[in-house]
Amino acid sequence: MASDIVIAGDLWDGDEQAVVTNWFASDGATVTQGMLLAEIMVEKTQFEVRAPADGVLTIVRNVDDIVSKGDVVGRIA
Amino acid sequence: MSEKVSTTNERRLTIARAMAEAIAQEMRVDERVFVMGEDIGGLGGVFGNTRGLIEEFGKERIRDTPISETGFIGAAVGAASDGMRPVVELMFVDFFGVCMDAIYNLMAKNTYFSGGNVKVPLVLMTSTGGGYSDAGQHSQCLYGTFAHLPGMKVVAPSNAYDAKGMMTAAIRDENPVVFMYHKGLQGMGWLGTEAGATVNVPEESYEVPFGKAAVVREGTDVTIVGLAMGVHNALKAADLLAKKGVSAEVVDLRTLVPLDRDTVFESVRKTGRLIVVDEDYHSFGVSGEIIASVCERDLSVLKAAPRRVAYPDVPIPFSRPMEQFCLPNPDKIVAAFDTIGGA
Repeated sequence: MASDIVIAGDLWDGDEQAVVTNWFASDGATVTQGMLLAEIMVEKTQFEVRAPADGVLTIVRNVDDIVSKGDVVGRIA
Repeated sequence: MSEKVSTTNERRLTIARAMAEAIAQEMRVDERVFVMGEDIGGLGGVFGNTRGLIEEFGKERIRDTPISETGFIGAAVGAASDGMRPVVELMFVDFFGVCMDAIYNLMAKNTYFSGGNVKVPLVLMTSTGGGYSDAGQHSQCLYGTFAHLPGMKVVAPSNAYDAKGMMTAAIRDENPVVFMYHKGLQGMGWLGTEAGATVNVPEESYEVPFGKAAVVREGTDVTIVGLAMGVHNALKAADLLAKKGVSAEVVDLRTLVPLDRDTVFESVRKTGRLIVVDEDYHSFGVSGEIIASVCERDLSVLKAAPRRVAYPDVPIPFSRPMEQFCLPNPDKIVAAFDTIGGA
């Protein structure tokens, strides 16, 4: 079963957009639940994105892409 | 701080995370290690290199200071001389003026003045470099300023693997180490992140020894020597030169003091040409020292005059077009080669 990696709505206050600053795992990598996958930045503050499940990662939004709360940045299948 | 390792053995870290991991690992095994600096606590450092530390080690060992470099760097020298192992952050190397007496008249000389009876195991970590329009008091490198003065080791990593290993080595060193990290390599986004700096990093503790340069790309026609951000510019220039049929070798100095002159010389003996890339000012700096190292040893290995691609001798502009005009970049390195390639 595939799991979406979603930008959580409570990660930061307000509705500012974020930018993807780092992917720590590659497209196609096998990842485990809870593993640090990416960082996103709002203003000058970075937030962690962790794996919601075990599986193979597909990156949907790349470094430098602008993302909003609720966006899917990757999938794990 | 520890992260689970994926089954593909990927464990990429930014330099920011690699530095924090090295500090945390040394703090777990050595209670004498503590950290002082501005905004290093709850904020985790302006450049991310102390993230997670105050949560694990508390305010006693992760000490957020006032804006008082003269005071807290002086205090760190005293603590180090008295048996502690402080890691202290000078947020921007540009701020060295108010604390240079502590750094250079105390930290760097106390061991000599005491006939070797006082050790000063202090790590002074400090950010360098520009490229994100922060102007002339927040964008300098000043590598040559610190490397010029005897009594301190000076290191400048280009990637997260080296950053972790060099920070571990710096904390364990019995002598003062100035750990200069380039803001654009930290993986912080707003500082203009260089993707090549974020590499796989072992979770277990390890040291990268000082005084060993790395040949990060092998070639036969020209040696491009750089440090920190300069290495990434050199690697990109090597890609551009390869398209023109030129084979460039790239040397990452990694450490300025002690300086690995042998690796530079051996590379130039093979290629016959030398370009030094340095984001520090052009004159009286690292680039001239590297060139002198080769010329003093054996001028005959050179097929052409050495070249340097460095920062012009001007204060760093705030204006983005003006700053970008001044910074070293891959195209400038290729242009430098074009002036010596036919020789």
